[in-house]
Amino acid sequence: MCGIAGRILQAPGAVGADLVDLMDAQSHRGADSTGFAIYGTPRDTGYVLRGMGFDKTKIDSDMDDFRATLKDHGADLLEDPDFLTDNADHYGVRMVISDPEDLGQWVADADTLTDRFEVQSCGRSLEIIKDTGDAAQVADKHGVRELIGTHGLGHARLATESSVLPNASHPFWARPFSDVAIVHNGQITDYFTWREKLERQGYQFLTGNDSELIAVWVSDQIKQGLTLQQALKKSITSIDGVFTYMIANTDGIGFAKDRFAMKPIVAIEENGELAAATEEQAVRRIYTGESVVVNYDGPSLTGLWGVGNRSMAA
Amino acid sequence: MSEIVIDVGQRPIREVHEELKAACQTGNKIRVVNTLSRHNLGVGLPPGVDISFEGSVGYYCGGLNTGATIDVERNAGWAVGEGMSQGHITVGGYAGMSCGAAMTGGTIHVKGDAGPRCGVSMKGGNIIVEGKIGYQSGFMSHAGKIIALGGAGESCADALWEGEVWVAGEIDSLGVDVDVVEPTAEEVAEVDAILEPLGLVDTSREWRKMVSGQRLWYFESRDASAWLMI
Repeated sequence: MCGIAGRILQAPGAVGADLVDLMDAQSHRGADSTGFAIYGTPRDTGYVLRGMGFDKTKIDSDMDDFRATLKDHGADLLEDPDFLTDNADHYGVRMVISDPEDLGQWVADADTLTDRFEVQSCGRSLEIIKDTGDAAQVADKHGVRELIGTHGLGHARLATESSVLPNASHPFWARPFSDVAIVHNGQITDYFTWREKLERQGYQFLTGNDSELIAVWVSDQIKQGLTLQQALKKSITSIDGVFTYMIANTDGIGFAKDRFAMKPIVAIEENGELAAATEEQAVRRIYTGESVVVNYDGPSLTGLWGVGNRSMAA
Repeated sequence: MSEIVIDVGQRPIREVHEELKAACQTGNKIRVVNTLSRHNLGVGLPPGVDISFEGSVGYYCGGLNTGATIDVERNAGWAVGEGMSQGHITVGGYAGMSCGAAMTGGTIHVKGDAGPRCGVSMKGGNIIVEGKIGYQSGFMSHAGKIIALGGAGESCADALWEGEVWVAGEIDSLGVDVDVVEPTAEEVAEVDAILEPLGLVDTSREWRKMVSGQRLWYFESRDASAWLMI
């Protein structure tokens, strides 16, 4: 059991605060870890990175080696990194970098450091914040309520298939596809089959978490020429297991549900804005008045919710 | 007789229940307001209670009901009336997944549609849905009747035991091991007697009554493909 949420605003606003509310209402669905994917105003050039190191006493050497991978690919930091440390061994960091010559190749090089430091999101606008703890704890530690953006995802994790670790929390970045993030409620039962196939194509997986797989699987289908809508539909018959997942990019949020209708999702859409969540009581934190709530309870469902006038059809 | 109003909001559900329990003992009508789709509202209500919920409720509303009359103004979340043994639940709008799951008696009346697995594993009582029942409704139902007046979704009446699924309207597809049988006049009269107090009798309906084909009651390996159809 996990809880997921999505939020879309018409214009950049307090999407972080709304997602914290949506996840706070669902923290009983999985209190071991919580995470957020926030889409801020997109940059024209350069990427925002969110990363995590596993030993805060080694920040300096981690950063030296990490920066070397950037320079190898013709990129560098554009601002001083913001570090976040507390009593835990791991630390978080937000960086802004110039464009590497080839993003995929740079990510592969940066991933040689993942035994001590990993990039958890990379995008013109996407930032993924995740940690162990419930919604309020993670929000307080990382200042999630203050984050401004147009849309985003939230996740409360109850680990069933893999370890409770800060970096095994959701959302997952669809490595190395910039600006793609996923949250997932369920279990993928042919995880190792798909992981092997994707690894043979060169994709990297940093955790044993099945949700990381879906993000890459969907992005790979899109790379091969499918639209997001087609990839979502294809996932229902291709991936085995029970799932409801939401996948986001700079244009909006899509969702897909398995053939057995095992995991819920409900949504309220009003005035071009959206709140979607596992539980109706969560979306009612955002919309407290009379609203039309759509329960997507049936099997094999997909949907796309665009941001403002951006089209999700392409 | 006066009415007791209970406000839910974001209060702890235990506190709401304590207030609800005290209200039940007064014998007055109860109206629950500001429900905000909260879960577990009105679980385990005793016989004789007359209670209404304004707006929509979350999961398990009216679960384990032992004889209360419960009215939900709009939608109910998953498993409304789960495990109820007696009483009457009315849902004004849509009832979510697993409506009346494992209920043993009483009546659930849904004025809108019902979600997937309506009446899953039910062991008695009746569920009447004025709209359409969702995917795999009646799944492994042991006894009792699910009566849908507005059609049924895919995999209807899947793997029934001795429960019955009655549908007027379109059925998207049948589940495994289902027999669609012609109901006798006596059987239709029995269903109409259930619909009569709800004002839903319409003699022009063309009923399809679904019962178990009984082939999967005992597993045999030659039937494996039938199971895999699901």
